[in-house]
Amino acid sequence: MTRLFIILSAATLVLVAVLAASKNSQEQTSGVSAPAPIVHDQALLDELQGRYKNVSKQLSQFMPRQPYILVDTARNHLYVKRSHEVILDALASTGSGIVLDKPGEGNNQWVFDTPRGEFSVQSKLTHPVWVKPDWAFIEEGLMVPKNPADRVEQGVLGEYALGFGKGYFIHGTLYTRLLGKNVTHGCIRLNDHDLKSVYQLARVGTPIMIF
Amino acid sequence: MPFQAAIVLFLVLVSTAWGADYDAFPDLHRDDPAALREATRVLEEEVKLAARPQTYLLFDLPAGAVRIKGRGVDLHRIDILRWTASAPQQLAGTFRLTARPPVVRRKIDPSATTEQEPIALADMPTDYRLSFTPALLVEIQSAREEGVVQRTLSSAADLWQRLKAWGASYTHQPSPPEASITLRLSVEQAQSLAWSTVDGMALIVRRLPNP
Repeated sequence: MTRLFIILSAATLVLVAVLAASKNSQEQTSGVSAPAPIVHDQALLDELQGRYKNVSKQLSQFMPRQPYILVDTARNHLYVKRSHEVILDALASTGSGIVLDKPGEGNNQWVFDTPRGEFSVQSKLTHPVWVKPDWAFIEEGLMVPKNPADRVEQGVLGEYALGFGKGYFIHGTLYTRLLGKNVTHGCIRLNDHDLKSVYQLARVGTPIMIF
Repeated sequence: MPFQAAIVLFLVLVSTAWGADYDAFPDLHRDDPAALREATRVLEEEVKLAARPQTYLLFDLPAGAVRIKGRGVDLHRIDILRWTASAPQQLAGTFRLTARPPVVRRKIDPSATTEQEPIALADMPTDYRLSFTPALLVEIQSAREEGVVQRTLSSAADLWQRLKAWGASYTHQPSPPEASITLRLSVEQAQSLAWSTVDGMALIVRRLPNP
């Protein structure tokens, strides 16, 4: 019994030593921070504080001064924000993440994601019409029409549309019951009321941040 | 003319006030030189990223948060429950995401009558690795409701990692330690991070200050 106690004690000591050794400069862990040192060199502290303040100011110069659009694709919300203030919080529908094979192009596929990153409003349209791309026909098992006029569909995008590049738009929808879900081909859908508000708040050039 | 001058003065004052109010790290100890140096270093890296239209990640370890940012603005915040960082001296600079967990995407079958279910946050992985260049491995572990057995196993795994690192430091082949960060997040936050990361996304890390 005594021997077992000695062995266990020795093992514990070794473990403690190992843990202590591993807590050197090669590793940092949450909840462990050194106490802030007492600084006697006020000039050094002033200089460091000044540098920190200057760089903070430099960074703040890049922040949007005007309202900007923020889209959370995971939770399907679109916000219009001014600085830290939320001006509008709208339920949205964003990309489904589903794929569709491009016929005759081997492994090429359309991926129906809403793109992530920073974009800007490039165009503002009223009474937009949908010029259906190839995938809209192929996913329904239809032939892609040769006549461009056969691609035009009216009244499905709502009263307004805001383009943000590469064929992506913020627009309205007939399927308001699907708001809050990832169901689109990459565009961002809103209900009529929220779409009108976004249209009025945004200008060409308004930043759109999507994550 | 005086009216225009008044407007210019107003804009200058507003702009100055914006810069002065912005505080990137509210938790920062302003009288700790090491903390100020680290915060300034991170901000200098961030200024380079914020100058371009992109979203990026900031692992703010002292504040216990993953921050998704764009133009210096916080777009989304993910709380970290626990973290460990190995070789913290190598965590300076900007890293780029090179590999992330694959997402199983459902495919549209044009001949089928049923619609494919879209991808949702719940489809995202909960435990995964993110690889960055320069070499950095980020391990995401989700914190499920754990029983005593799971907690013991988890602690044993932590201990084993530390023992391995300690043992490796005594080998005869001196090689630079591998930079790695382990983040423990809630299940939903782990999935949210997996959802929001995109290939090539930039990452900067704010470490605990080393006095």
